Amino acid sequence: MSSAQAKRRISNGAAFMIAVMVPITIFLIVQLFSDPAVFLTTILKSLAMGSTYAIIALGFVLIFKATEVVNFSQGALAMIGALFISFLVADETIPIIPWWRDGNLVPIRNPIYDLGLPSWLAWGLSFVVALFFAALIGLFLERVAIRPMIGQPLFSVAVITLGLEIALRIMANDSSKLKLRNTNTPWSGKGFNIGDNFLYWSFFAAMIAAAICVVAVFLFYRSKLGIAMRAVARDQEAAMAQGIPIGRVFAIAWGAGAALAAVGGLFATEPPIKQTGAVDAETSLVAFRALPAVILGGLDSVQGAILGGLIVGSAEIFAGQYLSGYNSVLGSGYPLVVPYVVMIIGLIVKPYGLFGTEEIRRV
Amino acid sequence: MKKVTKGFAPLVALALVAAACGGDDAADEPADAPAAADEPADEPAAADEPADEPADEPADEPADEPAEEPAEEPAELLFDYGVSDDTIRVGMNADLSGPFASLVSQIVEGQEVYWEMVNEMGGVAGREVELVILDNAYDVPTHLANYEEMRVEDESGVVFFTESTGSPHTAATVDMLAEDNLLAIPLTWYSGWADPDLGANVVEINANYCIESMNGVEYLADTFDAETIAIVSLAGEYGQDGASGAKLAAEALGLEIVYDGEGAIAGGDQTPIVTELVAAQPDIVWMTTTPTTFAEIFGGSVAQGLQAQWSGNNPTYSYLLLNTALADALSAYYTQSGYTALWGQNDSEGMALVVSEMQKRRPDAIFSDSYIRGFLEAMTAHQILEAAADAGDISRAGILEAFQSAEIDFMGLAPNQTWSGDPNDYIVRETYLYDIDASNFTPDATVSDNDGGTGNVLVAGPYAGSAAEAYVWDGPCFVAG
Amino acid sequence: MFRRPNLYTSYETETQVLPTFTKKVIAVFAVIALFLMPFDFPIISGPTELPILRSIPLIGDGLPFFRFLGDAAWLRYMSDAMIIVIAALGLNILTGMAGQVSLGHAFFLGVGAYTGAFLGGHATDSVYGHGLPMWIWLPGAGVGAALVGIIVSPVAVRLRGLYLAIVTLGLVFLGIHMGNTDWGRKFAGDPSLGRSFPEMDVRVWKEETPLVSISEKGSWFGVEMSSNQKEFLFVAVVMLVFIFFAVNIKRTRTGRALQAIRDRDIAAEVMGVAEFKYKLIAFATSSFFAGVAGALYASHIGKMPAAQFNLILSIEFIAILLIGGAGTVAGTIMGSFFVILLPELVKDFSDWLADRAEGEGIVATVSEVILSGNQGDFGPISTATQTPNYPLSIYDLNIVLYGVLIIVFLIFEPLGLYGIWVKVRNYWKRWPFSY
Repeated sequence: MSSAQAKRRISNGAAFMIAVMVPITIFLIVQLFSDPAVFLTTILKSLAMGSTYAIIALGFVLIFKATEVVNFSQGALAMIGALFISFLVADETIPIIPWWRDGNLVPIRNPIYDLGLPSWLAWGLSFVVALFFAALIGLFLERVAIRPMIGQPLFSVAVITLGLEIALRIMANDSSKLKLRNTNTPWSGKGFNIGDNFLYWSFFAAMIAAAICVVAVFLFYRSKLGIAMRAVARDQEAAMAQGIPIGRVFAIAWGAGAALAAVGGLFATEPPIKQTGAVDAETSLVAFRALPAVILGGLDSVQGAILGGLIVGSAEIFAGQYLSGYNSVLGSGYPLVVPYVVMIIGLIVKPYGLFGTEEIRRV
Repeated sequence: MKKVTKGFAPLVALALVAAACGGDDAADEPADAPAAADEPADEPAAADEPADEPADEPADEPADEPAEEPAEEPAELLFDYGVSDDTIRVGMNADLSGPFASLVSQIVEGQEVYWEMVNEMGGVAGREVELVILDNAYDVPTHLANYEEMRVEDESGVVFFTESTGSPHTAATVDMLAEDNLLAIPLTWYSGWADPDLGANVVEINANYCIESMNGVEYLADTFDAETIAIVSLAGEYGQDGASGAKLAAEALGLEIVYDGEGAIAGGDQTPIVTELVAAQPDIVWMTTTPTTFAEIFGGSVAQGLQAQWSGNNPTYSYLLLNTALADALSAYYTQSGYTALWGQNDSEGMALVVSEMQKRRPDAIFSDSYIRGFLEAMTAHQILEAAADAGDISRAGILEAFQSAEIDFMGLAPNQTWSGDPNDYIVRETYLYDIDASNFTPDATVSDNDGGTGNVLVAGPYAGSAAEAYVWDGPCFVAG
Repeated sequence: MFRRPNLYTSYETETQVLPTFTKKVIAVFAVIALFLMPFDFPIISGPTELPILRSIPLIGDGLPFFRFLGDAAWLRYMSDAMIIVIAALGLNILTGMAGQVSLGHAFFLGVGAYTGAFLGGHATDSVYGHGLPMWIWLPGAGVGAALVGIIVSPVAVRLRGLYLAIVTLGLVFLGIHMGNTDWGRKFAGDPSLGRSFPEMDVRVWKEETPLVSISEKGSWFGVEMSSNQKEFLFVAVVMLVFIFFAVNIKRTRTGRALQAIRDRDIAAEVMGVAEFKYKLIAFATSSFFAGVAGALYASHIGKMPAAQFNLILSIEFIAILLIGGAGTVAGTIMGSFFVILLPELVKDFSDWLADRAEGEGIVATVSEVILSGNQGDFGPISTATQTPNYPLSIYDLNIVLYGVLIIVFLIFEPLGLYGIWVKVRNYWKRWPFSY
């Protein structure tokens, strides 16, 4: 392919993006001046939504970079993480985990409940402990379901994660059916008014959490362990030759991915995604809405995950806000499919995602 | 299973053509062949012996043998499938692992308790009633396969479906029910079930969505002096049936409909609807959606400052929402609508029965109103079966006949029901309305807690508004495809 | 068996579908068994009377295989499985042979189902339908789906690997969403009640009484059959036709081109295999299979909403392909039957486990620990009707086991059922020198 052709191909893609972005920008500017309060609310909501998607996308990308597996069970892990938070925050006894006492199996008491801390501190402690348990589950899954599949075609492993998704989701659903479990975040339901629009504190909480996660991931990748993980992502055999314990790297990747999923799951119970602040059956489906963000950004790129999450979240919120007049043509519930439409448009231009590494194909 | 040679295909085609020429008897099985003639092996039950067939008794219920032989063991009791000399089998094709599992499993529990009670009192026609429960996981193919399993034409089939979860699922079996002379009690209140073309074999209980909307809207409009109304509904037969009723009431009462929109099917960002709803500033809002969609729209609108009174068809609201951040708003702005009395809300004989039986047999069961639904369904089936037994025919055709002239007494739990005559005469026009009081909600209570509550207080019921009374039924409010 | 099966003396005999005598015999027996399945056999079908066998799980209530015989509820599952075989064969062509991973197969089934309904169904106030006979709507469903496949392929051709997989996943969500829009509802019917689909009857043209009635009970060749049995036989015939095509595609130039693309598409292009053209053919063919299967599936069920063609169905197809052994027709067929019948087997297993809990012995102790009754016991799985928060109910267990079994299967036998079959066959081929 000559360089002239290459240049032409690049500019075709750029032309396409310009053709799409210019009318959108004009439209947004018009909306900004017609109703600034609504526009500001929408911007903040979309940043919050984008942040939540970005956190979940980070989890996907972390796992993919290290183990080359798309973890379809990320949604179930998100739900389980949120459930753990709700157990630890509010319940007297922790479900699921039994203990022997007096010859019977009884549920164990929740130590955080017994401590009697002020509510925000109890919540913070529950959050940290829940992250820890979520990471443990990630480690367990990796050891049991993924490690035996090293060397097998990636597609089989992807299907294994789909099977995990089914199993985990059913088990998690069981815990949330009879009693909608509240995650009791300290900022739940609170916010302030701008004009007629109510801004929840959870929007800002989501943005802050996403920023923290991103910084944490960047710092991690500069640490020794992170460099080892990058080496494993680049070339497993060479990394093994250097003495890097691949199994440990995989385990840590899954643990971190599960923890990120848990954080994402928490924010999936807050506005703008959910008004109720409680974990229910739909929490596990948030990951399927974040999947387009991962693909759009590129499966193995951290910047891609963040940018993809923001783009997809914004598109969803803006489409929901400003295209609501076309509800009948677009179909009710159209904001849910906007991420996928954006993803398809993005992939037409860049088949490996915005920042994904293009696969070098050799004969 | 590989093909042998290329020559097989023409052979197969030939076979198919030969089958076509082989003549095809029209399916003319008489729908109600006299039961006694069908099963030569099933002699009409001999005058006694409910106790001498240990092989068929489930091993763990020796205490249920009737203490005294029921005197009326008619020697000429006709029966065909699903009945043996000591059992009558009724089936539940229920969603026990899908989206409605928590609700339906409580309904199933209610039915189990009721049938246990009935069996202790002697059963029906001297036979024990056995409940067969299969899970359809809210999946239509599974529902149909369960149906096949339960309709078998021998002793192991059932005579009645006391629960059939899911509108699409029940709709998919309507033709098969007609062919097999079976009855099914659905878990939906679509106004079309009263239509003989659709629901001849469907035993719908209580008022329908259309009537419920009419009553609810009228109650809200009267209580809160409303002039404008917004209607939010799901697409589909449930949502549109409810929406039709709300519109009819608005028209009859002179309310202005300022917003009429369809909510999303599943959860997700409901901003489009919330934005337009808040902009329309209605006095009252009527919703026909699912609890998750309702929570989003309600929560989002209240957050944006909408001051309106809300209500909706029964499936829209779930008392579990009182456990979330919306509890206070629900107490202030929501009125719950229902088809029956809820736990402990009236002093009727039926309520006392439910409370005492549940406390006796399932003392640790979680507190809920759904057991009442199980009781209602089981009562309906029980009374129809008794009527059929009194008439001497508990074959499937006999039960169908008994259904067509049955009158069910719900002992104060819900308005009594019948299905004979013109639908306009027999459809139930009364519903119940409840105020929400979050302080009344005890999330961890069991049925044994006498101060347990699901956060509702009866304010009107049985209530029939003027619009509902004046309504003339001439077909379903909303015709689904 | 006593000849030398691996000795081929001509190219034709080597590429034959059934090269050896044994294979031919097995094929004939399999087809005969398939056509005899819907009918009762006095001794074989039905619960076994021998008391020794009664206590063995799964076998006690009738040998599971032979329970398939006769007009029972199993017949519906088997018909479902055969329809799924047709669709899975399509996916096999796309994913197994051409290497294009697609998670969106359920979307094409839906397109086929609604095209078929549009052509052959009855029009009502809210849905379209033209009432055309089956010889139009069944292939028409396939053609409709193939057209959609052709429309989708320019985008799909540019994508590879997991990117393609997830874009096709998006198709499923988009499809369900489109089915719920105002205009989509004219095709797909009510979002919750759905629409009724055309019956499987052979007609010449819109007449009242069909030439051959499949959806009503009646008699063929003097044998009285129920509608389930007739549908089984009809679907069996259609399935055999499609198996015939699927098996023979491998032997054609197109099949070789697809396999070349799967193995190394740049090399294939260098050799002169036009990548775009053959990927298009792969999508179109696979969608055709899916469309026909979707129309049959919808007709078999009778009435269902658009949400039935969801992610779970797509996952089932991928599971079938992998469990059966991707790329092989025999594997796909075995995988389909296995995955469709798996939930039933799991249900039988957990029922058996629940029953044994009351008895004695090792099994009883195990199930005592795992299961818990109404109140008091503590086991993660509850047999009670209502499950307080954490224990799984026995119904949930069935679904969890389904997921877990897929995982376990893929971990322990990545080559799938076909791989197991090959291993077993090789063992006996080399016996007694199997080591």
